[in-house]
Order: sequence, then C-alpha cells, then structure tokens
Amino acid sequence: MLDTSKSVLSVFKLVKAPIYSHCFSIDRSLLAITCNTDCLVYRFGGGKSPQLIATLPDHDKTVTAVDISIHGRIVTCSQDRNAYVWEPLSDGSYKPTLVLLRINRAATSVSWAPNGYKFAVGSSARIIAVCYYEQENNWWVSKHIKKPIKSSVNCLSWHSNGILLASGGTDGYVRVFSGFIKGLDTKEAVSNSPWGEKFPFGAVVKEWYNGSFIHDVEWRSNIEKLAYVAHDGTLTVADSVEQIYSVNAPEGLPFKSLIWINDHEILCAGYSCHPVMFTEGSNGWQFSKNLDKVGKQSLPQSTSEDGTDDEENPTFGMSALRKFKQLDLKGRVTAAEQESAHENAIVELRPFEESNGQVTQVSSCGLDGEIVIYAV
Amino acid sequence: MEDWRRIDIDSFDPNSGRLTNDDLIPPYAHHVTLQELQPKIAQLRSLATSGDMSSATKLATEDPPYSADANTKAVYFQAVLEALTQVRQADIATIVKQLSPQQQDVLVKYLYKGMSLPEGQRQGGILLAWFEKLTQSSGVNPIVHFLSDRRTV
Amino acid sequence: MSQSLRPYLTAVRYSLEAALTLSNFSSLEVERHNRPEVEVPNTSAELLLQPMHISRNENEQVLIESSVNSVRVSIKVKQADEIEQILVHKFTRFLEQRAESFYILRRTPISGYSISFLITNKHTESMKTGKLVDFIIEFMEDVDKEISEIKLFLNARARFVAEAYLGEFVY
Repeated sequence: MLDTSKSVLSVFKLVKAPIYSHCFSIDRSLLAITCNTDCLVYRFGGGKSPQLIATLPDHDKTVTAVDISIHGRIVTCSQDRNAYVWEPLSDGSYKPTLVLLRINRAATSVSWAPNGYKFAVGSSARIIAVCYYEQENNWWVSKHIKKPIKSSVNCLSWHSNGILLASGGTDGYVRVFSGFIKGLDTKEAVSNSPWGEKFPFGAVVKEWYNGSFIHDVEWRSNIEKLAYVAHDGTLTVADSVEQIYSVNAPEGLPFKSLIWINDHEILCAGYSCHPVMFTEGSNGWQFSKNLDKVGKQSLPQSTSEDGTDDEENPTFGMSALRKFKQLDLKGRVTAAEQESAHENAIVELRPFEESNGQVTQVSSCGLDGEIVIYAV
Repeated sequence: MEDWRRIDIDSFDPNSGRLTNDDLIPPYAHHVTLQELQPKIAQLRSLATSGDMSSATKLATEDPPYSADANTKAVYFQAVLEALTQVRQADIATIVKQLSPQQQDVLVKYLYKGMSLPEGQRQGGILLAWFEKLTQSSGVNPIVHFLSDRRTV
Repeated sequence: MSQSLRPYLTAVRYSLEAALTLSNFSSLEVERHNRPEVEVPNTSAELLLQPMHISRNENEQVLIESSVNSVRVSIKVKQADEIEQILVHKFTRFLEQRAESFYILRRTPISGYSISFLITNKHTESMKTGKLVDFIIEFMEDVDKEISEIKLFLNARARFVAEAYLGEFVY
C-alpha cells in the first residue's frame, strides 16, 4: 500500500455540491469547476487555496461539463440544452456567447479540439454537435453527428489530429467519428492515419460494442490507441487492428474516468474514491497499484485466501449506529477512521503536470466538492 | 383516434433511436434448442448424482444457453438448481475457488435467478451460502458484471 | 446475529454496493427533466439494469431494481401470522407517513413487498454510499426485532386486558 501523504499533494474543498467537471487553463493559473447551475473560475497556484475570481451564471440547469481551450476560452454545457463560450476580457471578466447547438435534450459533455478552433458537445438527444466559429455571423454554429447513436452520449475525446472524435454513451458502444470541418481542418492531418483513408464529416470510423454504459473514453494519439471505462467495472484498451485488452477493476466498482500517464500506464478513478493504476506488461494490461488507498481490507483478491472477509467482523452493519450513538450519548465523534482524500466518487481526472509525454501530477474532482492533486 | 393527444409520435420515427428490451439482447448466431441441450443436462444430472459436485458446478456454469428460449432456459435452470442445492455447505468455498472469473459471473446469474423463483426461494439458505462464498472469493466484481450484462440465463 | 441471517445481509450489502453506482442523468424523453429512471415508464430499456432478487425464504426477500440514476430497494419483512401482518403494515405505514424525514423512503411499497426505498443520484451525492448501505442493512436487522417486540407487548397487553375483563365474572 502506498503512503497516503506521498500520493496526495493537495486537497481543496471548494464547494458543497458535486463537481461534475473541472479544467485547468494551459498554464495552470486558472481552474474552472461546475457547481450546480454555475461555472466557477478560480485563480490557482502559489501554494495558496484557490481564489474565486469569476462566476459564469448564464445556465439555468445543472452544468454538466466545462473545458478550457488553449486560447483560454471556456466552454460550458448544461442540462438546459445550451452551451456557452466564455471569452476572457482584459478586466478578468468573461463575455458569454450562446452556441447554436440545435439539440432538444441535455448537453452532457464538452471537449475542445486540440487546436482550440472547434469543440464537440455530447447530448442526451442522441446527437454529438461539433461546433465552430462562423466569422460572417459572429456566432458559434454546429454540425450534427446523429447516426448511429442510440442513447445519451456520456463522454468525448479528440485525437490530437483534431479530426477523429471518440465517444461513448449509455447505449454501450464506443465509436470513433470523423469531426472533419471543411475550411478548418486539412486532409494532411490524417494522411497516414491507420484508422482509414477518407474521413467525411460524421462517418463512423470504428465502433466497439461493450454492452454497459461507457463512462469515459480517452485517446493516446501517438500510439493510436483508445482506452475506455465502462459500468461493468472494466478498463478496455483498443487499437485500429482489432486488438482489445480488457481488465477488471481490482475492487469491482466501476470507474468514471481515466487518463493516460504514458504509453504503457493508465490511471483510472471512480466509485472506489481513489485512483488506480494499470500498467501494460508482457501479458497485456494489468492492475499495478492503488493511489491514496485506505481502509481495512487491502485487495479483494488477496483476502480470498483466508476467506475471513466478513465472518470475523463484529461491527458488521452496526458501524453507523454506533457512531451516532456515540455522538448522541457522549457528544463526541468516534476516533476518526482514516479516509481517502476523496470522500465520494471521483468523476473526472485531468493531467495536471506532464513532461516528455509522461504525466507526473493528476488532478481530480469528485461528488464531494473537492479538487485533489495526486502525484503519480 | 379519440386519444390523439396521447399518441407517442416519437415511436413512429424510425430514427428516434430508442432501444427496446429486444434491441438489447445481443444477436446470437445460433439459437440453442432443448434437444441440443439435453445431453448436457443429462451429464449434469449424472455428475450431481455421482457426487462429483466440483465438475457439476463447472459444467453448469460453462457456456450457459444464453440464446435459448425461456422454456429451454427454465429446464436447464432446474438442473443447475438441483446440482447447486446438493452441494454440502462445507464444500462450497473450495468449489467456488476452482471456478474461473467467467464461470463465477455465470454462477451469480443462476443465484439471482434462483432467488427470484419460488422453487429457489425454498432453498434460499443454500443459495445464500453460495453467494457468501462467492463474494468472499471475488468481492463485488461478479455482481457489477451481472448488473450490466444483458445475456440472461 | 443468527447463522442464516448473516449470509442474507451480506448478499444484500454486496448487491447494494454494486447498485449504488449512480450518475446524474437527464431524461432522454422529456426536455429539461431529470427523473429517477427506475420509477418512470421507460421507453429506453438500456437505462434499466438487471434486477436483483435476494431471498432467505419465501417470506423474507429483498428486490433491488437498479437504473442509471436511481435504485429501488424493496424489502419483504417476515410475516408469520395475521398479527404480524397487521403489525408490519402499521409499522411501515407509520414510517411512510413520515417519509420526508427519512429522505430515501418511498411513500408506498411496490406490490408484494412491505417497504420500499428509493435512492437517487441526489442521495449518493450528498451522503456517503457506505453509510446508506449501512442504514438499509441496519433497518433490516432492526425491523424483525421491532416487530417481535411489539408482538410480545401486544400479547402481554391482551392477556392483561383479558384477565381484568374476565376477572369481573369470577366470584
């Protein structure tokens, strides 16, 4: 087991609501998080706790996702069916522009293309809207990818070439679409791609059937691989030539998010409240270590030998009762059980610091309203 | 056309993309029939009566008839239930450990199915004992798989 | 804890742990709505997961129905005779009438069960999942105890009343 103090660098309890999504600006000086119907922007860094500098209030339903482009533009999308692009002004405030998404259900996820000139919005309307700026109208307009999406889109990821767009949703399929926008993208970007020859907008380049909800999908562009996590508690890595590796979560509970640490390591996190590292070895992908893991049982696999998991645990089912009795009768909280940095499920991981294609620090946000930074 | 206000127009749109229960069942190349399954059931019964419970459990949880119709599944399930309930409590833990993760996933399906039907509920104690040993050996993993798995037994 | 109760509660605990992996999910059907998918007539079958039955015997069962953003847990409490039936009915009704103080309690049980809980993503976001599981397990432990205690009280009271009443006729 890893020493907790070593892997957790800092914990910021920012809000008393779940944070569904967070994003740092490219220089890590700004942090944007979702909080109920708002998006909050913090000044970050210098070892101090983040300072709130702007609230982006235009949405009137839960904000589901936020992303910051390389130019510093913030895009937010929400269950009120809208997305806004927030242009930073010189005085530190933000100017909103409504995006014409033309969807009639909630927007669930948003992601800037690497070049920062277009972004994709996934929605519950079984549509992915690829949005770009139209100079003549001074507006963000969108083109739709409809077929063959059958259910809500949960997650999106752009390939570094800015054309291949991976998506996953509750219909249990991971699909790679082409998000080629004429006039914005060039054919050279995908000239030697192993994924195909032609990439007309909206074409399905590849699809994989998993069967359970897909929670997150992430490209590793330089080695042309795609990894995704699903509700059946698996992490799967796939590539263009039908090679698929699937590996189970060591604790069984599904992951909500994943990021590539390097070409052979993936960090996942989800309902078990702490990140889990997987490594590619000679036998394919394997669980390698837990970050910030605390608690009584170590690994389910290792407890299987002695088989005494629950049998000799006298506190079974009564721990909550005892805690409240102690609170009630003696007015004190029982000796604090050590807990992981996140007290509730982790919903999103983002790289925080990387060097030479190796992520060294990772930030996460969770349902407990915390932002945690881990050292890998 | 009296109740035209309540007509669900989306269901007339072939592109609405809605998924029904039938859409979720994975396509099977071949549907197993009862005749094809009879030898396996007979083998299962003979293993169970001869007392080789470990092999019986392995056979029962190997390649279950996902593609069969409800009637065939019910017959097969009866045989599996008989086998499972003949195992002595003390042997369960050893048998569970011998199963592969895939076989454990199948086992958990039969346990839940057993507990949902009256004939299995009468044997609730033994099914729960199986369940307990299974979770001791593999934790919550097989249950998470069960939740999302659309292949039913 | 009796021998056969433990595996029963273990099974419920593990099943609940697996089921309480909920997400915030906006309705596919109705615009700008966010509703527990397990409770509404659903035209998108993929949002519902496999239901889990856990039964100790015919009279003691738990049904866990799971979906993308909500879980419904229904418990059938042991009812051995008519008095227990009445007591369970009264007891669960008492709780259901105060459902908002219990947050996760459903106002009516689904048919065939004594009491139902409805846990949505709002609950798992504001409370610790482990404690929610603990609460339901503890409820299941306590409810049998509670019912048999009330039954004893009732019998004692009935005896007392009968003695007092019939004592009038003793000369």
